[in-house]
Amino acid sequence: MAPQLTLQAPLELPPSEVPDYLNRLWSESLKDSSGAATFTLVVWEPSWLQQQLIRTGRIDGPISGLLSDQLLDAARQAVGELGLPASTAPTAPELAWTLGQQAGNHSAEDLRGQFVDRAISAHQPRRLITLAPTLDAGKNLESLVAAYCPLPEERAVNADACGDVVVLRGGMGAMQQGLAMLQELIPADLPCWVWWNGSMDESPDLLEALAVSPRRLVVDSSIGEPKRCLDLLVQRIEQGPVNDLNWLRLRTWRESLAMVFDPPQRQSALDQVVQLDIDVEGQHPVKGLLLAAWIADRLGWHLVSSFWIHGQPGEERGIGAEFQRSDGQSVQFRLMPVPVGISKMHPGALVGLRLICSQSDRSPLCVILCSESGGCMRLEAGGVASMELAEEVVPLPNESEEMELARLLGGGHDSTNPLLAAAAALAGKLLPN
Amino acid sequence: MAATQTNPLRVGLRQERVISPQCLVIFGASGDLTHRKLIPALFELFRQRRLPTEFCVLGCARRPWSDEEFRSRMAEALADEVKQHENSWQQFAACLFYEPVDLQQDQDVVRLGTRLEALDRLRATRGNRTFYLSVSPAFYGSGCRALANAGLLKDANRSRVVIEKPFGTDYSSAQLLNRVVQSCGKESQIFRIDHYLGKETVQNILVLRFANAIFEPIWNRNYIANVQITAAETVGVEERAGYYETSGALRDMVQNHLTQMLALTTMEAPGHFDPEAIRNEKAKVLQAARLANEDEPWKCCVRGQYSRGGSQAKPLSGYREEPGVNPNSTTETYVAMKLFIDNWRWQGVPFYLRTGKRLPKRLSEVVLTFRKAPVQLFDAAGGTPTANQLVLRIQPDEGAGFVFDVKAPGSGMRSRPVDMHFSYEESFGEPSDEGYVRLLADAMLGDPTLFTRSDEVEAAWRLYTPLLELIEDAPWQLPVHPYEARTWGPGAADNLLAEDGLMWRRP
Repeated sequence: MAPQLTLQAPLELPPSEVPDYLNRLWSESLKDSSGAATFTLVVWEPSWLQQQLIRTGRIDGPISGLLSDQLLDAARQAVGELGLPASTAPTAPELAWTLGQQAGNHSAEDLRGQFVDRAISAHQPRRLITLAPTLDAGKNLESLVAAYCPLPEERAVNADACGDVVVLRGGMGAMQQGLAMLQELIPADLPCWVWWNGSMDESPDLLEALAVSPRRLVVDSSIGEPKRCLDLLVQRIEQGPVNDLNWLRLRTWRESLAMVFDPPQRQSALDQVVQLDIDVEGQHPVKGLLLAAWIADRLGWHLVSSFWIHGQPGEERGIGAEFQRSDGQSVQFRLMPVPVGISKMHPGALVGLRLICSQSDRSPLCVILCSESGGCMRLEAGGVASMELAEEVVPLPNESEEMELARLLGGGHDSTNPLLAAAAALAGKLLPN
Repeated sequence: MAATQTNPLRVGLRQERVISPQCLVIFGASGDLTHRKLIPALFELFRQRRLPTEFCVLGCARRPWSDEEFRSRMAEALADEVKQHENSWQQFAACLFYEPVDLQQDQDVVRLGTRLEALDRLRATRGNRTFYLSVSPAFYGSGCRALANAGLLKDANRSRVVIEKPFGTDYSSAQLLNRVVQSCGKESQIFRIDHYLGKETVQNILVLRFANAIFEPIWNRNYIANVQITAAETVGVEERAGYYETSGALRDMVQNHLTQMLALTTMEAPGHFDPEAIRNEKAKVLQAARLANEDEPWKCCVRGQYSRGGSQAKPLSGYREEPGVNPNSTTETYVAMKLFIDNWRWQGVPFYLRTGKRLPKRLSEVVLTFRKAPVQLFDAAGGTPTANQLVLRIQPDEGAGFVFDVKAPGSGMRSRPVDMHFSYEESFGEPSDEGYVRLLADAMLGDPTLFTRSDEVEAAWRLYTPLLELIEDAPWQLPVHPYEARTWGPGAADNLLAEDGLMWRRP
């Protein structure tokens, strides 16, 4: 879906004049418009990767804040050239950081906040506020404002509801200044969503200030240092409504696993699970842990212990854990990072899952789910040939971040999905210190 | 579809489509349908987290209830559910509001508009409104007009109207009603509900036909000998005598439910899974359908009426003895007929439809009987070779079966039929949603796939016009044959098939 540019070129104003300008805009120029009675969307849009790729001359501008195919190709190429592990995902913060150590001074027009994905604009946000930090940490705060109304051919018969766009741009210091004026810019009578579209563990004080309850926070727990991502996720869930894009991307895995156990004659096997193995790409276990925690929570397992598994020197380390089923039997869990040639877009993508159920009256059941793009040789080894085998291929999610976000905006809840809340809390405990 | 066990991994996975912020306005909120079907369906959607936080239900009727009274009446009607999910109900009940409205009174409709604006602000429902007309069919047209005159249907993207069956009583009244509702808004805003289309197994007809490559090449006159569509009920007229006396089985079941099953079974493959593409194909096939003998319709249709039956211990009344029924009533409680579809796919294939009350079993099914093998090489264990049959079981024991011949064990080469059986319950375990859960969600999502379009409704009424006219003008030509309660209908219905050398399938 092609992103849309705001119809009106944004007007640059001194930050202090923005609230008054918007008030005037709505009371004078747009006085006949009801203003979309929808929601405010605040987006933290650092786009460090795009900024660094442009600065080092690897891609051309403008800085849009969108993950284009060209950007992802350039990022994957940079992974190899900079000597990072091949499993490094293009959106991993370490790539942007490593690029930051490279020389370069290319610049490009900064249009962040002005590209609105059609999936999002279809929901007619009343106000879209973008916080766009720049690489130049000392850059002063710039503020841009634009109003938009639906085009005649897009609007419904009496849909004269308009919205506006505010961009606050500058160095990290300037962002603090922007934060101070944010409260004034958010209409009090409408729901407010905050999309933290960056590394979860960067600028925790800024995240804290933005995600004030009852604002609905959207994060991505695959981006950032795993321990801090999980701790923050749990902490945020305790304080207000949270949606995690990393959790939403687990949908196909959860659906595929549930499908295996839909036939009633298979369901008793869920009470007899003895082993759970999950393989993930690279060293970001959060997605795998969320999946394991969801399974454990749904099946009523109790966590006994968790520990690191150290392999041979040079090999990446895995995570092990022991659960106790409700009947007191033990369940062994292993999460292992596996090397991949070309990583997926987000860190820690799932490669495969194996669930072994020891059935008392028949041969054990072994369920193997395998990612569409990967191989599951490791999981298929180890004597599973003698078991009753149920193998499924899990399709790759094919929706952009913006589509996932639009889905949330379209039918938003003001509470955290209880399944995510339970899984996040358990996943936090599963990750050893 | 009862489930013995629930898959714990399935919980919370039904979130593929999320309803936008929304205000559902129910007219006729004090009526039976609201507390029996609509509010339970909405509560189910709420518990499945498929309703957004920005949601409300505004009940409207003439009774001067308050919000609180409406909530407590609904809680009373759903007592078991409420007891089981007390906390969820408290949250859901906070979304329920009530406004006394008589749609025939202009000032009431103006007040309704004001209340809706207030609810938009209170619940942030963004002006998305679904109006559900759960009122007497006589008020469908005037209800739509009142909403349109108040400007409540102006925004075609944010407002829609759901209309219950029956949509008209014959071809001309359906045409007239279509003209009225279409003058109030766009066709895309009108959702004509047929709760049969909310059934998982009815929708499965589409998936079975168009998701599998094996069926489509043989789904035509070259391979299919005949098709039987049955919707049998064990119950009698019960409390609905007032309505049923004016409708009968033809209007109550055939024109809508059976015809929808016929359309889904016989339509061409749509180019893509798009509401309009599907509805185009359904309308096209219904336009090609006709009674087997339009000039002498009494030769291709049988009407029946149940008489006393049952056992000595449990006697069952005849229709004419039911409370509220005219003792000389000629309303049919059973109807069977033969149709043809004049197109390339189905030319010459007879379609037999039957429905009735007080039959021995409650079941709905579509049975496709294939042509016999051209050469009979083997002796049949049962005497005569059996034709292959594909049975789509709509309810109960939802699923499908395929009857085909195999070698009977033993030294000879005799064939005998076996049944390959697919059951929703065995494969999925999970109970499927009640039809209204699916249809209400779809209406609020603005997805009209499972709702009937104006041309479909008109084509369906036109198909049965010769019969309706005959019943009106010369009822003696289409007499009502009595049949004993809990039998498979009058003998005349068996003769209808016997003329073609066939028999009704005894399920």
